[in-house]
Amino acid sequence: MSTTMPTSRQRSLRTWAFWAVPVLLLLTPLATNAYTQFIVNGMLISILVTLGFTLVIGNLGQLAFANTAFFGIGAYASAILSAKLGLPWIMTIPLAGALGALGGFLASSAALRGIRSYYLAIITLAFGELMRWAYLHTKPLTGGTDGLPLPRETMFGISLSDDTLKFYIFLAVTAVLVKATLNLLRSRFGRAVMAVRENEVATASLAIPTARVILTTFIWSGFLVGCAGALFARHVGHVFPESFGMLHLIASFAMVLVGGLGSVLGAVLGAVVLTALPEYLRAFPGMEELFFGLIVAAVLVAMPMGLASLLRRLSPIFVERYYREES
Amino acid sequence: MLMQLTLGGFAQGAIYALIALSLTVVYRSTTVVNFGHGDFVMAGAFLSYVLVVLAGIAFLPAAVLAMIAMFVLGVFFSKGLIRPIRGGPHIGLALMCISAGYILRGIARMVWGREVLPMPPVFDIEPIFLGNLVVTGDAVFIIGTVFVLLVVFFGLLGLTDLGKMVQAVYQSPRGARLIGLNVERFNDFSWGVGAALGALGGILVAPISLLHPDLGASFLIKGFAAMTLGGFGSLGGAVLGGILLGLAEQYAGAYIDSALIEITAYVFIVLVLFIRPHGLFGRKAVVKV
Repeated sequence: MSTTMPTSRQRSLRTWAFWAVPVLLLLTPLATNAYTQFIVNGMLISILVTLGFTLVIGNLGQLAFANTAFFGIGAYASAILSAKLGLPWIMTIPLAGALGALGGFLASSAALRGIRSYYLAIITLAFGELMRWAYLHTKPLTGGTDGLPLPRETMFGISLSDDTLKFYIFLAVTAVLVKATLNLLRSRFGRAVMAVRENEVATASLAIPTARVILTTFIWSGFLVGCAGALFARHVGHVFPESFGMLHLIASFAMVLVGGLGSVLGAVLGAVVLTALPEYLRAFPGMEELFFGLIVAAVLVAMPMGLASLLRRLSPIFVERYYREES
Repeated sequence: MLMQLTLGGFAQGAIYALIALSLTVVYRSTTVVNFGHGDFVMAGAFLSYVLVVLAGIAFLPAAVLAMIAMFVLGVFFSKGLIRPIRGGPHIGLALMCISAGYILRGIARMVWGREVLPMPPVFDIEPIFLGNLVVTGDAVFIIGTVFVLLVVFFGLLGLTDLGKMVQAVYQSPRGARLIGLNVERFNDFSWGVGAALGALGGILVAPISLLHPDLGASFLIKGFAAMTLGGFGSLGGAVLGGILLGLAEQYAGAYIDSALIEITAYVFIVLVLFIRPHGLFGRKAVVKV
């Protein structure tokens, strides 16, 4: 590896920074108005979505399209559980995550049969399209094309339509899940994930059950994105099938690539950079597709390891231990 | 009833076969699966619409022009965007295809907005009645075109040096390079052929369906389903898989539930990959570790 690794002092600084950043972010609502607060909340959701995606395509190295499906599953689970069963929304977050994880299991279960690469990609693509079909054709549950509104609700006497309250909840969920993912990647399991990416046969020869590693990564990815879906349901207040369509998929790809494949820091950067921009493009039909498509193509040709690779060159403090060597 | 469904299934299946075949052509020579192929199909349909409705050209010359345009686009895509990242990870190549698809879709939506366009009927001839069977001009035209194309295609592959080149590059790109084939240029050519054949699929469905920028997604899935069933990399398998998918859709829609037409392809993909991952004629697909 040519890049210098961070020194122990830089590492402890990094640990401090990890907790300092969310604490400093607690002050954001002082600096925002209603609209910018809404965008910032959207960024927090995108961070989780991108993180879940980059785990599978960046760290595990498997091409997958089911991310949008997990997001939709999480959002619909949250909306259905709170609208039809009357659960408090906050309770639906872990449940939505669990259902997203189940989606991750289903989408990747073909891996147990030895299915990899393009085949796995196609089966996840089919899974995503099947979910979209399901939202539209299970009208009693999902409301079909009309979507499903979330009931009004209060927490601590504050309405849950308040963006500042939502910001604090989203921030807590996102910070905990990002930290959990970082720890997971630093564990024995995390190293196995990246070993599968580099060479599955060699990994298997070390007595690591590679199919199980693939499944578990998908399950964790599904959990993260499912939780993000529950946040999203409350964020917009009304769940529509169009939110989980092809546009969301290319946006996720763009966030992963712009930030940097397989990098947690990159997932955060990509989500933050690309959440705000498209808001301005929405008025022009077709512009969003064109914009994300061009960005993905440009990053692939000019900067394949994304913004995170620029930061890594700047200072070793940004080097992640599960970092992928540039090819 | 059964005959009518079979005819409809063959017409639909012929289009799926064409799309699966065009995906396979690219896959065999470049090992890239074009995840943006649905949008190439869409672009073919839109180009023919532009040429017929806006430029007022007759359908047949318009179709040929659209295919030539898509061939050129495929070659440029290969030269400009695929070649620079060929050495990188495979995921990059797949993502490049996806982004190209989205760029095409974005352009289509920018020009047409969220409208749904009907193409004027091309073969407005009286349907032929054979007993209970109604044979429409469209069905005859689609099945006929695809049949002729397949005969020419497989004739070229089986009887000419070009066919030997295709096989050589598929078996070993490195070996092909060693005996003096220009593999890079051959790959560009394959991208062009793949794009043009996919576009033809779009051109053939244009007169019998409504055009909108998102129409590619479902064709991509159908193409994949046909390819998976036939076996990845098998040209004959792609064609057979397409026809079988078309027939299965019609039968399932008529005898079970019409909502099933849309999801037959997904069911095919899942069942084939779980039961027989290499499909009918494919190379072994399973990783044994």
